[in-house]
Amino acid sequence: MPLLTIATFLPVLAGLVLMVLRDRSARVAHGVSIAATGATFLLTLAIWARGIAPGGFAQVEQITWIPAIGAAYRLGVDGLSLPLVLMTALLFLLCAIYSARIKEQAATYVVLMLMLETASLGTFLALDGLLFYVFFEVSLVGMYFMIAGWGHEERQRAALMFFLYTLLGSLPLLLAIIGFYLGTGTFDMRAWIGAPPLSGLAAMLALIAMLFTFAVKTPAFPLHTWLPAAHVQAPTAGSVILAGVMLKFGTYGLIRFAYQMTPEALAQAGQVVLAFGVVSAIYGAFAALAQNDLKKMIAYTSVNHMGYVVIGVAVAALAADPRIKVIALDGATLQMISHGLVTAALFFLVGMLQDRAHSREMADFGGLLGRVPWLGWAFILSAFASLGLPGLAHFPAEFQIFLATLDTRPWGVIALVGIVVTAGLYLRAIATVFLGEAQDRWAKMPDLDLRERLVVGPLLALTVLVGVAPGWLIGMIHATMTGLVR
Amino acid sequence: MIWLALTLLAPLGAGLAALAVRRAPQAFALVGAALGLVGALGLFAGAAAGTEISVSLPFLPSFPVLLMADRLTATLALLVAAVAAAVLTYAIGYMARDPGRARFFGTLLMFVAAMELLVLSGDWITLLAAWEMIGFASYLLIGFWHQRPGVAGAATRAFLYTRSADLGLYLAAFVLIGTAGTSRIAPTLATTGTPALIAGLLLLVAAMGKSAQVPLQDWLMRAMAGPTPVSALLHSATLVAAGAILLIRAAPMLPAGALLMVGIVGGITTVVAGMIALAERDLKRLLAASTASQYGLMLVAVGAGAPVVALLHLIAHAAIKSSLFLGAGIFQHDRDGTGLEALAGAGRARPGIFAGFAVAALALAGLPPMAAYFSKDAILAAALASPAAPWLLPMALGGSVLSGAYMGRALQILWSGTRSETRAPVPFMAAGMGALVVLAVTLGAGFGPLEAMLGAGADAKPWIVPAMGLGVGLGGLLLGWSIAPARLLGPLLAPARNGFAVLGGMDGLVVRPALALAALCERFEQGLFAAVLAIGRAGLAAGSGVRRTDRETIDGMIFGLVEYTIDLGGRVRRLQSGFIHRDLALTAAGIALLIGVLLAAPFYP
Repeated sequence: MPLLTIATFLPVLAGLVLMVLRDRSARVAHGVSIAATGATFLLTLAIWARGIAPGGFAQVEQITWIPAIGAAYRLGVDGLSLPLVLMTALLFLLCAIYSARIKEQAATYVVLMLMLETASLGTFLALDGLLFYVFFEVSLVGMYFMIAGWGHEERQRAALMFFLYTLLGSLPLLLAIIGFYLGTGTFDMRAWIGAPPLSGLAAMLALIAMLFTFAVKTPAFPLHTWLPAAHVQAPTAGSVILAGVMLKFGTYGLIRFAYQMTPEALAQAGQVVLAFGVVSAIYGAFAALAQNDLKKMIAYTSVNHMGYVVIGVAVAALAADPRIKVIALDGATLQMISHGLVTAALFFLVGMLQDRAHSREMADFGGLLGRVPWLGWAFILSAFASLGLPGLAHFPAEFQIFLATLDTRPWGVIALVGIVVTAGLYLRAIATVFLGEAQDRWAKMPDLDLRERLVVGPLLALTVLVGVAPGWLIGMIHATMTGLVR
Repeated sequence: MIWLALTLLAPLGAGLAALAVRRAPQAFALVGAALGLVGALGLFAGAAAGTEISVSLPFLPSFPVLLMADRLTATLALLVAAVAAAVLTYAIGYMARDPGRARFFGTLLMFVAAMELLVLSGDWITLLAAWEMIGFASYLLIGFWHQRPGVAGAATRAFLYTRSADLGLYLAAFVLIGTAGTSRIAPTLATTGTPALIAGLLLLVAAMGKSAQVPLQDWLMRAMAGPTPVSALLHSATLVAAGAILLIRAAPMLPAGALLMVGIVGGITTVVAGMIALAERDLKRLLAASTASQYGLMLVAVGAGAPVVALLHLIAHAAIKSSLFLGAGIFQHDRDGTGLEALAGAGRARPGIFAGFAVAALALAGLPPMAAYFSKDAILAAALASPAAPWLLPMALGGSVLSGAYMGRALQILWSGTRSETRAPVPFMAAGMGALVVLAVTLGAGFGPLEAMLGAGADAKPWIVPAMGLGVGLGGLLLGWSIAPARLLGPLLAPARNGFAVLGGMDGLVVRPALALAALCERFEQGLFAAVLAIGRAGLAAGSGVRRTDRETIDGMIFGLVEYTIDLGGRVRRLQSGFIHRDLALTAAGIALLIGVLLAAPFYP
């Protein structure tokens, strides 16, 4: 059975079904949404159960599409994409559960979310350059409407900025893809990976084009300005998907395209990429420290955490020792998953706080831990995970990235300062919002209900599981990365 | 193997159970502590008999988790388990009426489990992980009464200070793993040359943070905002001890330069923190400063090349300092505070507790035959024999005089005020404290065999050493009992009260610049945002200018097509209802059209 295709298109098909239904009340819409994302999640588990093949792609599904130009419908997984696919399906399911309280234009909202899921899964699974680009772009449209339609006060401007920024940002990628096509006469990404088609100046130009696109998407300093703006205005589920899934397009592309298709050029430019990663990590941490809006603060920590991923990929390109390369890539890939789990939890929790208090300003709160212990402890756990506490998800990832960095380019470990700064900003947020004397104005704030616990619980459980026993996850990543480094 | 599992998992399991069940957390605490102690005894017995246990568990592909119980680590595990058992017993009485008991005991038990993980770790990654976990557990425990004013700040400060210093451990681990190619501790201790020096100094930084060495001593005094049993545990065998334990374990690797730095940092701290303790006006803060001072002495021993001696003092200090804190907690119960003025005469009301406190105080001053007498003499002997003796010996002697002085002062205040009425008996608290006082008195007898077991034969000490030790101990006690700190310290009193903060301390040197840098980033960020927006606007303006010219032609056609499609679909129409920028609807539709054309490609003739 073509599980990959079914998993990819099931959400959007469910969305189309919903569009033709007569009863499109909020109840029905959310029912369809949860059922479709749940089924998709189960399908991705089945894909996981089928396993991956070390040293290449597994479960490849292929249909002729435009034979004249060598473009075909090709999907497949390896240890880089499979963890991202699993995480994507999980996050969309949790978003569907969380969003079940949205009443305004619920059907349209659900259709958009389902379309976004198809686009996201397709982006990670596509093995055809053109197909990848199509999914990559469609996800932009979905997110644009999500922010513009269900966001907060200044949503339109933020949505516009997000759209223009990322749309213009992705055009260079198209040029690079065309370059690869001209070099090989096919859009098959496996061919591009197996024998990198470009060399010398052409490869460097293609790399620069791709780096631009992926730096916008990741986002890396100084192309990150759309991110805080979009997050502040996006609805909670939008933020979760944006940070948890869509930022990974950038770093996934960095490994899949830049590292695999222009390896020599990336090794030459590695030092520069590393510098951008280091600056992003440090700058993101300090910019986050300056925020008073909880959501904006978390948005900036994404710049910090994704900066570590960029560092990992750059180090992998620079390192001479294949063992170190694998450690760096293992760390970078695991960091994507950790960031997806932890940041999604944080955005959900801030969204839940905002649902209750209609504010995200830290100064408005105080002493909430006694009032809403579930919310408070969930936030504390996620915050410590985000600041890299061992035993939680970010530690094994960041440790490997930094270890490889010190071994390859010792100056790069100045990014380690970021873990102290993030510790400072999260502790400050916890102290202002949750500790201290309880305020009377929040005396009636209700704690997390069952639906909300169902949303946050799995993320926290996975955060601990990945932190304590990452073997099940890093095993598949490691198998692929070992083959990839050769 | 079973002992190892018991040592680690009993406190962990009991802690999780206490948190999950939320009933009778005291029972879980007792069971967890007792089983953990049994496990640690088993480990120690096995190690003493010469069987080393090591277990490898999968973690990262190239770096498994390694747990190891050899003679050194099993000794430390036993120390942690014993002090934890006594402190948990005491805490049953201390926390009897606190509504947050389940959280307290749950966190405390997990803290103990994390500390056992730290001492039993056989690889750098596990050590680092446990090192940070005890920091987190301490944060939760110091912040236990989180609704009280000042507590959040104290907990935050403790975690941030130690975490900043933890970067040293991160970097040292990277250097050592990178050099040796393995994360196991044993092979990395053979590192030599520049990597060893760099790693050694980095480890020192990490140890300075945890063991509150100058200039990172400030957080420890503030951490007194937590419940007293927490302080007792933090200062004796867990958080603060971790720093010294790290250096003791790394000692075989440390080259001469790193050793000298360790000794000097320890020497400065023992004197400076001793003066801070003497100037303190709060009993718990006095004990906290004394902790930093005593760990300074241990670092002197490590620096003098005698890590086993440092270990002996660590063990002696653990029993002594936890006794003192537990005693202070009972006085605190009686007088509802730990300010020295409020405590004046508190000792007379409970002569039994005071006797225990006094015995521990005399032990800390280094009077025979108590445990610290032997360890302190050994430190003085090591300092005397070290090549850096001119540096280390005076500072070690200074620290010892000050130990006597601040303990003498504390005893004098507790004894000499007015007597208050006796309160209810405190069986659990007395039992926990009593056990530790007995240890503080008797442990010294075991030091000889322990040294032999750890392979450091006790050299014959020159006669001058015990004479000096006794002299400074007694002299310090007399000075502290009879002369007020203001006269003893003279012009140093004010800076000592201020914690010898230079240039505003850490707040001035680190926190404020960091916040200023953050504000700078934020300003830059706003500028960047405005610039991007301006570029975007310019682009849009140019675009609309172009569009106006061909609106009637191409755009009109496409848009008409789009309208038609949307009418057909019908459902999507709502997206069009006003709140979406028209240009973007067009773009989106354009992309959809493009996709449609592409997808239909196979069907073209």
